[in-house]
Amino acid sequence: MKGSHLGEFQELVLLTIMVLKENAYGVSIKREIKDRADRSISRGALHTALSRLEEKGLIESWQGEANKERGGMRKRYYKVTDTGAAALRAAKELRDSLWNEIPGLSLQYQHHYA
Amino acid sequence: MPADRTTPPRFFTRLFERFCKQNLYDELQGDLEEEFYLNLEEFGIARARKLYRREVLKMLRPSVVKKIRNQPTYYNHTAMFRNYSIVAFRNLSRNRLFSAINIIGLAISMAVGLIAITFVSEIYSYDNFHDNRDRLFRVVSNLHRTNGNVTEYATASVFAGNRLANDFAGFEAVAPLTKGFRGEMRKGESSIAIQGIYANNDFFKVLSFQLLAGNSGSALTEPNSVILTETAAQKLFDRSDVVGEIIEWKDQTPYKITGVLKDPPSNSHLKFDAIASLKTLEEKNISTVTDFGVIWASHVYVLLPENYDLQQIQTNLDKLAEEENPKLKYWQLSLGLERFDDIFPSTGKANQFSTVMPKEKVTSIVVLALIVLFSACFNYTNLSLARSLKRSKEIGVRKVVGAGKTHLFLQFIIEAILVAVIAVIISYGLFQLIKPEFLALDFYIQRTTTLDLQPINYLYFFLFAVAIGILAGLFPSLLMTRFKPVNILKGVSVKTSKGVGLRKVLVGIQFALSMGFATLVTMTYKQYKYALNFDLGFTTENILNVEVQSNTPEVLKSQFQAVPEVAGVSSASIMPSTGNSMSNFVKYKNPLDSVTAYTMDIGPDYLTNMGHQLLAGPGFEKEGTGDRAIVNELFLKEIGINKSSEAIGEQISFYNKTWMITGVVKDFHYGTIKNELEPFIFTMGRQDHYYLNVKLKTNDITATMNRLESAWKEVDNVHPFEARFYDDWLQDTYSDMNASLKTFGLLSGVAICISILGLLGMAVYNAESRLKELAIRKVLGATLSSLMLLLSRSFMGIFILSACVAIPLAYYIYEETIVSTAVYKINIGFWELASGALLIVAVALLTISSQTMKAARSNPAESLRNE
Repeated sequence: MKGSHLGEFQELVLLTIMVLKENAYGVSIKREIKDRADRSISRGALHTALSRLEEKGLIESWQGEANKERGGMRKRYYKVTDTGAAALRAAKELRDSLWNEIPGLSLQYQHHYA
Repeated sequence: MPADRTTPPRFFTRLFERFCKQNLYDELQGDLEEEFYLNLEEFGIARARKLYRREVLKMLRPSVVKKIRNQPTYYNHTAMFRNYSIVAFRNLSRNRLFSAINIIGLAISMAVGLIAITFVSEIYSYDNFHDNRDRLFRVVSNLHRTNGNVTEYATASVFAGNRLANDFAGFEAVAPLTKGFRGEMRKGESSIAIQGIYANNDFFKVLSFQLLAGNSGSALTEPNSVILTETAAQKLFDRSDVVGEIIEWKDQTPYKITGVLKDPPSNSHLKFDAIASLKTLEEKNISTVTDFGVIWASHVYVLLPENYDLQQIQTNLDKLAEEENPKLKYWQLSLGLERFDDIFPSTGKANQFSTVMPKEKVTSIVVLALIVLFSACFNYTNLSLARSLKRSKEIGVRKVVGAGKTHLFLQFIIEAILVAVIAVIISYGLFQLIKPEFLALDFYIQRTTTLDLQPINYLYFFLFAVAIGILAGLFPSLLMTRFKPVNILKGVSVKTSKGVGLRKVLVGIQFALSMGFATLVTMTYKQYKYALNFDLGFTTENILNVEVQSNTPEVLKSQFQAVPEVAGVSSASIMPSTGNSMSNFVKYKNPLDSVTAYTMDIGPDYLTNMGHQLLAGPGFEKEGTGDRAIVNELFLKEIGINKSSEAIGEQISFYNKTWMITGVVKDFHYGTIKNELEPFIFTMGRQDHYYLNVKLKTNDITATMNRLESAWKEVDNVHPFEARFYDDWLQDTYSDMNASLKTFGLLSGVAICISILGLLGMAVYNAESRLKELAIRKVLGATLSSLMLLLSRSFMGIFILSACVAIPLAYYIYEETIVSTAVYKINIGFWELASGALLIVAVALLTISSQTMKAARSNPAESLRNE
């Protein structure tokens, strides 16, 4: 299925949203990615990725509360849908199976994974 | 500002607000701002702001940026435009008075605008029928006198043209031509007067005049060949296939017709009835074609090759002048090139081929038209601003239903354009009305323009209307689209205090214009009347000046004397006070001392006929001996004789002759109001006389003129009878002042109409909107007069201020332009300065009070009852 193909960055965003659980919105996602992957991404680039994911039905969003730091603007929270989770899992399985085919590395990989 | 320093950069926030899609704005802006404050804590202000700016710029991506066309795709343009037009029409017909004021005011001033457009487009269409205009030039001469004076001439000698053609490279073709092929052409019984030129065959290579018959390569080769224009041929032969016919010149030289030319169009600066071959003059070997220095009536037009080198050509021209100048005794010439497009309109070179419109004239007409136009636009702006409150409900509802600023702006602009288009249709009618007036305005316009409408002019008119609509509607539209729907619909009154100030300024400018023009008209009119009624010191009343032309004055004189209504006939070389003059150095006793005196040759009856007062001496005898002179008092004073009787019999010398003074006349004005009194001498028998002064005593001018004309026909059957009353002639002498008078008169009329119309609108609005207030004041005991004062007071300040600006300005313009060269002027007093302004204020107050009266008189119960 062409639509369910995940780009590297999209996968990263999806995973980050899952990690953040209930607190996944623009700023938190951006900061999390910065902390974990040391990747500085612009809010604009993040917006593009989020809107693509939402189009594909991999995430869903709803309006949250506003506060003073935001100049009275409401947040938009994101959550990975079941389809999104399935797509992530499929991507992971694909990688695992590929990793398993590479002898010598698999042990190290499994070790690390455990 | 510290407060500012801890917030995100304002400009970038607003920029983002501009371009971000509406539905994303909350989320994205919120995130940006939240992050900004986090960054502020972590990295400090500078870095945070920098990051913010970078974030905003990185937002410029298709998924975030608004679509340029953010209207929904189902948006129906035609329907909306139709709706706007319908609403506009409804609005126009609901407020009939205001619509009428707007439309009439615009129409009046737009008529002036249409004139200016037609005029300018005609002036700039001059000579546009020539091909290769980018390569067409005219050779012009600068004449350097030994005293250092330089005069720019539009001419160059035929000789120079021929040398350029034969001896110099760099020209594709050179066409020398000279004027002076002038006079009568005869064919059997019929004859016509011709104003023509001499040229050679290259004339057709350079300029794009079309031959209907004949060969352009050879038509002007032979001497005594002539090309007639179609009209000339028609007049002479009643047909135009006349090639090969022989016609006769006034001295009975036969000319062969070798071609027929399409008439030069009205927008050609070169106009003529016929072209004779230049060879005709060359055979006679006259100075016009053989002398480098005879530049007066000859022009040289040149066509340059595609890749011409102006520098190279200028070098050649300089070389030619260097070679030929040694032959010139009294002056030296330098030659130059003038672009063909710069010939008309031009900046005042001497000896143009025909009348050339001065550039300043074009500019001043455009500027004056613009002033009037702006004034009318002010009216629209003013009234729309004043009435914008009444429309605020409509605006509110439209906004709530979903109209954006653009929609509303468009709607109001369309309304303004609609008004302008209706106005332009009316102004087209007015244009036709004032067109003849404009054409008669002055000498230059009369000679050069027709104001005939070309199809392109109608397009210009339409575009003009649209432009005026936009200009007039711009400000009110912008203001009205800013209204906040919440306030309007809640009923909170919208304060447009900015609008009120602006309105006052606009009204002030309008009235300053009206007053300025009116004051100018008053002063110019008085000066003009003064000039016409100026006591010249002799009679001009009932004197008919007849041009003698080629006849003998004595023969004509006896013919005219036989007409019963003629009270006297005299003759003179030129007529005084009409701008022509002759002068000479006159010596008395001391041969080293001389007096400049103006002279004029007269017949024996001149002094009595013209009512000159002879103070001493017998005057002229019937048969002049050619050495008698009559002088004026001022002349005597100049040569040091105190009593006029002492002067009789004294000898003076001028014009290389000795003269005896036989009379002294009272001083009179030989020049116009631009000249001081000057020493003056009448002579007799020195010159030919060109004018007969016929004194008439009649009540039936037409019958007398007919009788005089038939008397003329007895003597001269060929030339038409040319006669002009002296008073009319004097009037023509002051035609420049007359032209200014008419221009300012027209403009002040227009300006006054517009400003009074605008004022009427404002007064009506004022009275209407303050109806309740007036009623309450009345109930509380205000009198009619106090109410009137209340309503007029705000205008009075404006009037006084505009008068303070306008009157000094008008006086300055009057002194600098109208009377700058006059020696004799009227005294400018209070009434000359103030009467125009006072009249306008009076009319204005009348206008205001007509409205306030209505409001103040109305029964307070009526206006207070319903709420």
